[in-house]
Amino acid sequence: MSNSTNILESIKGYQEGLARKSEREKTGSDFTEQKGKTAHEIAKLHPKRLQLKVSDIFDDTASTKTFRFKSMNGVLPPFQAGQYINLYVNIDGVETARPYAISSCPTKRDYYDLTVKLVDGGFVTNYLLNHVDQGQLFSATSPMGTFYHNPLFHGDKLVFLAGGSGGAPARSMIESVLNRGLNMEFHLIYGNSYESDVIFADTFRELAAQHKNVHLTEVISRPTEGYSGLTGHLNAKLIADAVGGVSDKTFYVCGPTPFNEFCESQLKSLGVENKRIRIECNGPPKQPSCLENWPQVVSEQDEVMVTVQGRGEFKAKVGEPLLNSLERNGYRVENACRSGECSLCRVKVIEGEVFNPPEAHLRKSDKDFGWVHSCVAFPTTDIKILY
Amino acid sequence: MNDFDAIVIGAGNGGLTAAVALQRGGAKTLLLERHNIPGGCATSFVRGEFEFEVALHQLSGLGTEDKPFIMRKLFGELGVLDKVEFVQEGELYRMVVLNEFDITLPASWVGIRTTLIENFPAEEKNILAFMTLCEQVTLESFMGVPQARKMNSAEMLNKNCKNFVEYGLRDAKSVLDEFFENEHLKTLLAAYWCYLGMPPKDINFSDLAVMLYAYGVFKPWHVKGGSQALSSALLESFLDAGGEVRFNCSVDKILTEKSSDKPAVKGVRTEFGETIACDHIISNASTVVTFTELLDTPILPAGISQDFKSRDLGTSAFCIYLGLDCTPAELGIKNASTFISNTTDENLMHETMSTMNPPVATMLTCYNVDDPSFAPPGKTQISLLCLQYGSVWEDIPVEKYAETKYEFAQHLINQAEQIFPGIQAHIEEVEVATPLTMMRYLNTPGGAIYGFKQNPEDNLLFRERYDQVNGLHIAGSWQGMGGFQPTYMVGAATAKAIVKKVNAKKAAQQDQVEMANV
Repeated sequence: MSNSTNILESIKGYQEGLARKSEREKTGSDFTEQKGKTAHEIAKLHPKRLQLKVSDIFDDTASTKTFRFKSMNGVLPPFQAGQYINLYVNIDGVETARPYAISSCPTKRDYYDLTVKLVDGGFVTNYLLNHVDQGQLFSATSPMGTFYHNPLFHGDKLVFLAGGSGGAPARSMIESVLNRGLNMEFHLIYGNSYESDVIFADTFRELAAQHKNVHLTEVISRPTEGYSGLTGHLNAKLIADAVGGVSDKTFYVCGPTPFNEFCESQLKSLGVENKRIRIECNGPPKQPSCLENWPQVVSEQDEVMVTVQGRGEFKAKVGEPLLNSLERNGYRVENACRSGECSLCRVKVIEGEVFNPPEAHLRKSDKDFGWVHSCVAFPTTDIKILY
Repeated sequence: MNDFDAIVIGAGNGGLTAAVALQRGGAKTLLLERHNIPGGCATSFVRGEFEFEVALHQLSGLGTEDKPFIMRKLFGELGVLDKVEFVQEGELYRMVVLNEFDITLPASWVGIRTTLIENFPAEEKNILAFMTLCEQVTLESFMGVPQARKMNSAEMLNKNCKNFVEYGLRDAKSVLDEFFENEHLKTLLAAYWCYLGMPPKDINFSDLAVMLYAYGVFKPWHVKGGSQALSSALLESFLDAGGEVRFNCSVDKILTEKSSDKPAVKGVRTEFGETIACDHIISNASTVVTFTELLDTPILPAGISQDFKSRDLGTSAFCIYLGLDCTPAELGIKNASTFISNTTDENLMHETMSTMNPPVATMLTCYNVDDPSFAPPGKTQISLLCLQYGSVWEDIPVEKYAETKYEFAQHLINQAEQIFPGIQAHIEEVEVATPLTMMRYLNTPGGAIYGFKQNPEDNLLFRERYDQVNGLHIAGSWQGMGGFQPTYMVGAATAKAIVKKVNAKKAAQQDQVEMANV
């Protein structure tokens, strides 16, 4: 713009602006020092992938092990107690992943513990518990999820209703309260099927014994004869008896989906408001055909054709989440929560129908334009998708 | 033979608009986006029963159906007008300076005048003169100035754009001082400086005049389903036209080859190592990342270094997204946009943006005042926002990040509670985004949301379009102004120029084929 016939020079202030610009050109930075900085800053908190090595394996119970992961590529990012990482695995050539809550405390910065309980017929838990050794390498997402204490509205009286593997995030949250010296009351109500299969039983008992602000209520649903503790389910009466009044308390619920649903109904019957009930998501529905609005003409065992636009097609079971069948057939789809929440696994359904359960936290415009969360989407007809 | 005529890097507003316009204009286009969803800033996320609008506060330039303006026309051309629903805000904004004044301006040019005169009767004459000036400067900047530039006629400029010549490039503060005595009135009229990120003394008067006039006459708007709905509609239009998109696919390198005078693009390499050839690349990434990281040339192309040296990094923002279990009425919220401040001193507000001190100015946007569908029945979606430079967050140790974030969020909530007590007690869902969150999702240095700092001399009148690499085009806030309307418009303008070139090349190739057949 050094052109002397520039008509803009008639505008008051134009020449002064040009002068300021040239002045800055002499002294300013050309931003080459910024090279790589943005990526570096992002990676400090949210690296896209962690490269992890199993440094230790602890046997917790007959059904459960804790895997300690250390970083192969720098410092592990921080997390908030209750968050999970999505662990990638390759099992017999199938690339898949599962999210696991971190059971170690956020103040321990040199490792993450993942505590994994065997699921009946579980493809990945079986692999992890029976085929993984110390020293093995994995990749994972950085910590994610919204299941954690939020000081803006959760207050300082926390009640955690854990079922089975729900003890994993509970441990991280309790230790976080203690290790950070937070002035909070923490009450864990821990439901398990068998006395012999309670994850972190000794740890929780010790913490409750040593710290005035930690309380533990253990409940067993299938007790052995002569068991003297509380038995049954975490119903309204049991919860009320354990914690006293429910007002001002925030309830965290984490366990298998039926456990979560039952606890939610019990808390609501006690008058606990929505905002004081935080439920961790827990995978796709196991029996989608039992849910409301399932199209009655199809059964979970039916097979449909899935066409991935421009790439290929394969047969899939109606009752298997679309993400899983995509992975099984070699299609790589980004994913993390695998429970309908994070939306990383969005795909667009161009033709055909899928069933979206209530777990699918779809955006309004996703519904308008046919985008679904493949981790909880079930193809109920032949479909064609794009992603 | 190239794979594509054009590759668009990034599906933000500028990239999406460019991609749609390219594909609909006949250029075979590939859109690459590193995230899983289109939109960039123009997106939403779901927590519990709420879908939160991330970035759109007031869409400008749309006009009503009866009196459509430039953006309605553009969305029509892009094929999305029948895919989205717009919601008009009834008010321009409410501004509250604590213990000083509390005035709400309606979204009507006549209504603004009436309200201003009611509140500042002593300044009636000045108000009338100022509003006339705003109108004239706006019309001149949209019509007279571009015409005069096209004709390269200083005479036309001086004759048809008297007001712009006199006032357009003066700083807004000095013009307000010239017209008005009352400090409250000046602060009230300057509220939109926050959409530029620079205080009134550091913005061109024309930018303030255009915002006031355009919002007043063409109204502020929201989009049903949030700005994500507009982004998704644009993507839909792109796909309908035959465009190809890949999500979760970032670009590692822009590949160039030597040509006569300057480098020329030949394609991109993706994060998966795949090379894709094309004639044109439209980068919706920041210019800083585009030229210092993506471009494969060992040094910055000639001219870029000089341009960058005259730039500063722009502001980022700290934002809280709140889902409340009460209605707006229960909190006393009667209009969508409220500016809350402790002071009338905009320079203090701007200085505070470079610190971790509690913000002195907060913007509250309540999305379901004008349309209840923005929240579940009986509930409310609001956002609280303060501008803040990202660098202050880069210094915070990562293990202190979460607690620092909540502490800072508490300051904003405290400020909003002074006008609307009860917000915090009604929180059902909340998410907090810091400048580092903006950085994570936008991949901009410093988490900048409006591109480079909008210094007066960053106005497009002082700048040429980036053309230092043949075939490489920039579409987004880093090319000009930040915000929704400017980025949509720059995307469309960029595409228009490329479509011309692509079609000319195709015509030439067709001619050759026909010649060969003769």
